[in-house]
Amino acid sequence: MADGAQSGHAWDRVEIQSLFDPATGWLDRRVLSDEALYQLELERIFARGWNFMCHESQLKEPGEYLVSYIGEDQVIVVRGEDGKVNALLNTCRHRGNALCRAEQGRAKSFICSYHGWNYALDGRLIGVPGQKTFYHDDLDRSRLGLARVRLESYLGFYFATLAEDAPSLHDYLGATGRTGIGMVCAHGEVEVVEGIQKNVIDCNWKIAVDNLFDWYHVPYSHASANTAGFIEIARIQHPRNQMVMLGEYGHAIGGPGIPREAQDEIDRMSDEERAMASRAAPQTAPRIRPRSATDLMGQAGVRSEGHPNIFPNLWITISGNQICLRLPRGPSHTELWWFTLVPKGAPPEAKREMVRRLSHVFGPAGLLEQDDGENWSQSTRAARGVASRKLGQTLQMGLGHDRVVTSEAGEHYVEGLISEHGQRWLYRAWTEWMAAPDWADLKANHSLPPTGVI
Amino acid sequence: MDTLDRSRATTTTTTTWAEMPLLQRVVLQYEVEQFLYAEAALLDARRYRDWLNLVADDIEYWMPIRRTVTNSDLDREFTKPGEIAFFDDDRAYLEMRVKKLEAGSAWSEDPPSRSRHFVNNVRILDVAGDEITLEACFHLYRSRLEADTDSWIGRRVDVLRRAGDSFRLVKRHLFLDHTVIHSTNFSTIF
Repeated sequence: MADGAQSGHAWDRVEIQSLFDPATGWLDRRVLSDEALYQLELERIFARGWNFMCHESQLKEPGEYLVSYIGEDQVIVVRGEDGKVNALLNTCRHRGNALCRAEQGRAKSFICSYHGWNYALDGRLIGVPGQKTFYHDDLDRSRLGLARVRLESYLGFYFATLAEDAPSLHDYLGATGRTGIGMVCAHGEVEVVEGIQKNVIDCNWKIAVDNLFDWYHVPYSHASANTAGFIEIARIQHPRNQMVMLGEYGHAIGGPGIPREAQDEIDRMSDEERAMASRAAPQTAPRIRPRSATDLMGQAGVRSEGHPNIFPNLWITISGNQICLRLPRGPSHTELWWFTLVPKGAPPEAKREMVRRLSHVFGPAGLLEQDDGENWSQSTRAARGVASRKLGQTLQMGLGHDRVVTSEAGEHYVEGLISEHGQRWLYRAWTEWMAAPDWADLKANHSLPPTGVI
Repeated sequence: MDTLDRSRATTTTTTTWAEMPLLQRVVLQYEVEQFLYAEAALLDARRYRDWLNLVADDIEYWMPIRRTVTNSDLDREFTKPGEIAFFDDDRAYLEMRVKKLEAGSAWSEDPPSRSRHFVNNVRILDVAGDEITLEACFHLYRSRLEADTDSWIGRRVDVLRRAGDSFRLVKRHLFLDHTVIHSTNFSTIF
């Protein structure tokens, strides 16, 4: 891609490790624009990690499918005749043509529009026109099924990886990732509302990801949403009451935390009392989650009101009702997919109000997100010039000022002022993923959640 | 002049569009188009507050999401009311959008975009009492900063209500021709 300014360089391990310095928070800006680094990210981060595909509620009946992405590889996620969900690469084994052209739909089988090769919902090649005549019956169909992609789910959220040697999804998520998904399900079962908002922003995908840990930008970037009366920043930001959880493989949660005393009070309440208090409480009061939420989110995690990121690119918003994929589209372009989730079986009117409110927060017309997009695209563009890219970025907020607490359940977190711990953890993990040639190396050499002062 | 005045008066009564004599149709078409052009000019001139004055209190301003689907799935091409939409606004939300643009801190519109609202292929579909339903094609062109350009094209269905010698916008349903939006944002009003 022409706008990846510095192409062709073969990055070695030592060079990659020098791109981010966790001791000072210094980040080399080339990570946001270099074409060769981007190509390496597709192989070493996206192909290797667990990528969010969809929620089970999106594939209700056999034959329902949607097309998602692992990096730039298209993946068909489809519910098979047996009710099981399959993930298949969307490329015909004959000439590589894309089988599914629609972003979602219903199919009995997948027929290639080029020569008519026909694949079952589980990927088996079940029909080849001219198999007997033109191929003389010597085409081994059993070896030419669609490439199957490893797929696992947690609480109804399906993830896929191209790495056979990746740890299980459960282990990959770890306590922090599971807390993140638990946040979505903390109030009970959820379902995705029809309609995924999709738009492309001219920014590097990591800027869109690291921004979710950034609670420092909120009062300034989103000042106009405050003036317009859409949000009350002073009552949602809690700059002195922040909680950052750090997990293995780069997962993190950053944002406001419910103070321990406030949670102690909640813990003494029955579920009925919680439901009542929750209804009576203003939108800005601490979230009162049901008792079962502690099982899903952990002792410390249940106090989080921050944004989780499932490494590499799944943002779960503070409300738990919206999640967003940041899909890489070259070093300077990112495609955002916003999914909205509501409680399963909620009364239609309550659902209607919820959907309406949520659709005004994020997405291209969202009263908050309108202002994010241009910050990200300009941070990508203005940092890639020959001189600009040499300046580095400074992510030092809070460095050396916070002590990690480890809960009995093995959660690692800090509490205190607004900081850039989440962003530093992200780029630290990024260098580890990028420096490791394979999973064995990554497993051996990645950072465990920190202890002590960070 | 007399004829025109009389014809205008009758459009607000019970005559349907199909029954209306040709001259009345021509007059109504002219009035409606002039209103749409004036409205577009206000938005292009960034006179959002003045634009809001043309919006009825019970406005329904909606842009569903369009999806790439196969011919057999066309009933699912657009999201439906109550599902996710890019715009799902009532009067209060539109006022918020205008207040945001006026706030002095709407950074995604400072420097402001240069926009041009084209409205064409205007066809009146129905006249019922004082309300007129029309369909039109739109093309909203946005030029931003040095080199950012966006072109959003689609079909829309508007409902206008007579208000003195002008109209108020009661409904605007926008059906884009795009599925994935190749734009940083919709920091604008269609």
